[in-house]
Amino acid sequence: MNIEWYLVVSALVFAIGAGGILVRRNPLVILLCLELMLNAANLALVAFARAHGNQDGQIFALIVMVVAACEVAVGLGLIVAIYRRKLPIDVDELRELQG
Amino acid sequence: VSLQTYGWIVLVSPLAGCILIALSWRLGPSKLQGYVGTLAIFVSFLASLGALSELQDRGEEERQVVTVAWDYANTVGVDAQLSLLLDPLSVFMALVVSGVSALIHLYSVSYMASDRGYTRFFSYLNFFVFSMLLLVLAGNFFFLIVGWAFVGAASYLLISFWYRRTTATAAGIKAFVINVVGDVGLVLGTYFIFKHTGSLDFLRAFEAAPEFGRNDGDLVAGCLLVLVGAFAKSAQVPLHTWLPDAMEGPTPVSALIHAATMVTAGVYLIARMHPFYEQAPVAADVGAILGCATLLIAATIGLVVTDLKRVIAYSTMSQIGYMVMGVSSAAYAAGLFHLMTHAFFKALLFMAAGSVIAAMAGEQNLDKMGGFRRAMPFTFGAMVIGGLALAGVPPFSGFFSKDEIIALVIAREDWHVVLGVLGFVGSLLTAIYTWRMIFRAFFNEPVEPARELEHGHLYHAPEPFNPATGEVEDSDVGFPGPEHHIAEREWSMKVAMGLLAVGAIFAGVLQIPKVTDVLHTFLEPSFHDSRFYEELEPSDGLTWFGLATGAVLALGGIALAYRLWVRERARPAAIRARLAGVHSFFVHKWYFDELIDTLFVRPFAWLGRFARDVFERVVINGLIVGGPTGAVRAGSAAVRAVQSGFLRYYAALLLFGVTGLALYFLIAAS
Repeated sequence: MNIEWYLVVSALVFAIGAGGILVRRNPLVILLCLELMLNAANLALVAFARAHGNQDGQIFALIVMVVAACEVAVGLGLIVAIYRRKLPIDVDELRELQG
Repeated sequence: VSLQTYGWIVLVSPLAGCILIALSWRLGPSKLQGYVGTLAIFVSFLASLGALSELQDRGEEERQVVTVAWDYANTVGVDAQLSLLLDPLSVFMALVVSGVSALIHLYSVSYMASDRGYTRFFSYLNFFVFSMLLLVLAGNFFFLIVGWAFVGAASYLLISFWYRRTTATAAGIKAFVINVVGDVGLVLGTYFIFKHTGSLDFLRAFEAAPEFGRNDGDLVAGCLLVLVGAFAKSAQVPLHTWLPDAMEGPTPVSALIHAATMVTAGVYLIARMHPFYEQAPVAADVGAILGCATLLIAATIGLVVTDLKRVIAYSTMSQIGYMVMGVSSAAYAAGLFHLMTHAFFKALLFMAAGSVIAAMAGEQNLDKMGGFRRAMPFTFGAMVIGGLALAGVPPFSGFFSKDEIIALVIAREDWHVVLGVLGFVGSLLTAIYTWRMIFRAFFNEPVEPARELEHGHLYHAPEPFNPATGEVEDSDVGFPGPEHHIAEREWSMKVAMGLLAVGAIFAGVLQIPKVTDVLHTFLEPSFHDSRFYEELEPSDGLTWFGLATGAVLALGGIALAYRLWVRERARPAAIRARLAGVHSFFVHKWYFDELIDTLFVRPFAWLGRFARDVFERVVINGLIVGGPTGAVRAGSAAVRAVQSGFLRYYAALLLFGVTGLALYFLIAAS
């Protein structure tokens, strides 16, 4: 089978996710974009695994999903915490770490 | 009780008193603390008497006893033990120190009664006596130096006792700094001696003294450095400038430290080190000449000073000049005899002066005093007895002791005769300035405070002020405090002054030439290794000539003072106008302060400022510290700018960075 189209889709999804992270200000949307990027990588991993007939890539994709789940839990927790503290839900407002 | 135990009691009792009084500060000032302090010193005095009787029970050869409490350090040839040397010399010094101190404590119980720092005062005073006794009883150089430094510290604490008075703190610092110069001299001198004798222990070092060659270079250096220590402590030229300033302390402190005990430490030291000085006559000669110079310089300044306490301070310097001249010319017993009689009459004079100052509500200027004779009969009597003894009028104690020094110095022959003759000049000056002070304070028309006192009312200043500058100050601090106390109304002051007056009158009987020889015989075991102790003896003619001259000069000086300051009171002003240059030279204390200021203080201050402004600020702070920190700061400022706090920038940086790297490797690989 031809792998190129899978990779093109993967790259497109990754670019959409990266663009979303760079331009959006809502942390929830940023989190979603992050998921897009992870899953784009997963797509590429699975495609390569299929192309090479090697199962390692698929296993790796599963692990990425587990990590993504953890990351979403933490990220959502942060967002809920921000909301509870009545802080603005806007990453540009939360910039106390500046030097 | 053995001799050793007595020795330790002498030392421990004031220390216990110091600690006990210090711990009781929470109870607030109470006379009890004063009595505890007095008792502690009195116990010390009794123990000294016990030591004396134990010592006299021993044979001539066994009167030098060393007792060691423990080895502080005993390694690589250094034998620093906590040891006391109990011999006639140290017991004599302990008796004088503890005896006079006990009386001064008793005096202070009333005199300082309304001072807020009463507790602190007695704690310091006991600490001072402890240090002084440690100094005189120490059995080796190590503890001598410890006592020496403690005494300096105690002196600093007591001069600066009224610590909110800037003149007092400045005087305390001055005394401390000059004393530290002396400490350094003593330590270095000890090193030179130790280098050859190989022992810090006095007796072993003295035994090794003859192994030095006569005027051996190291020994002369060591002796001269020890002399620096002695001169700083004893306020001898050129290290004397701190003593007049030390009069900023309370009057009992002046009586105790700056007249009777501490300043005589140098005399004790030279007498103690006599085996070395006899082996290094050059150093001893330096001591004799400078002692003679001091006695003249101080006497001339004493003639023109108008501050009551400073007149007595200069007379102290002058009298210690006699002692230093004496012990440096091998007149050991005479020097120590004068040390004892001087302790009596000088403490008495200071106590009387304190009483007058209290009656003047803190004023110390002689120009503002006068006519206290009827208002303060007791104080006047004490002052007269002290004045007669100081001037050397027969048969008061000072007459015998001073003339014995002069006679023995002349008996050394050669150029020592000159010193002796100058000593006679000094006696004339002594009589004049002492009686100038007494006539001006007690004779002529009574001033306002004296008139009030005649009606039974003690004068109070409208506002408390600093007697040195006239500045108005806080009544809580410094003399006179809310209440002041004069000898006429306080039994403890009367008792102390009365006992000292007895000493000032009768102490002379110990050493009447050709009649009694008590002190000389008593001290003999301490000086058994001296070349001069037995041999140096003035001829009969010289003795009688000296006594007659001394008496004539003393009486003549008093008569002259009477004429100038009672009978023809316009004369002093006329003389002053005629000798304006000399007068201003004396008033400026021979410009010693200015000299030391120019030679040492200002160059050092300049050096300090240079080090601060150039070395510290430019080199250290600018280059060595500033260079690396500047580089780090600039670097971090650049890096800090990246930390904008915007999440998107971080993400973009990461993204484009990784992309850029990946592209680079892709291109590089293809």
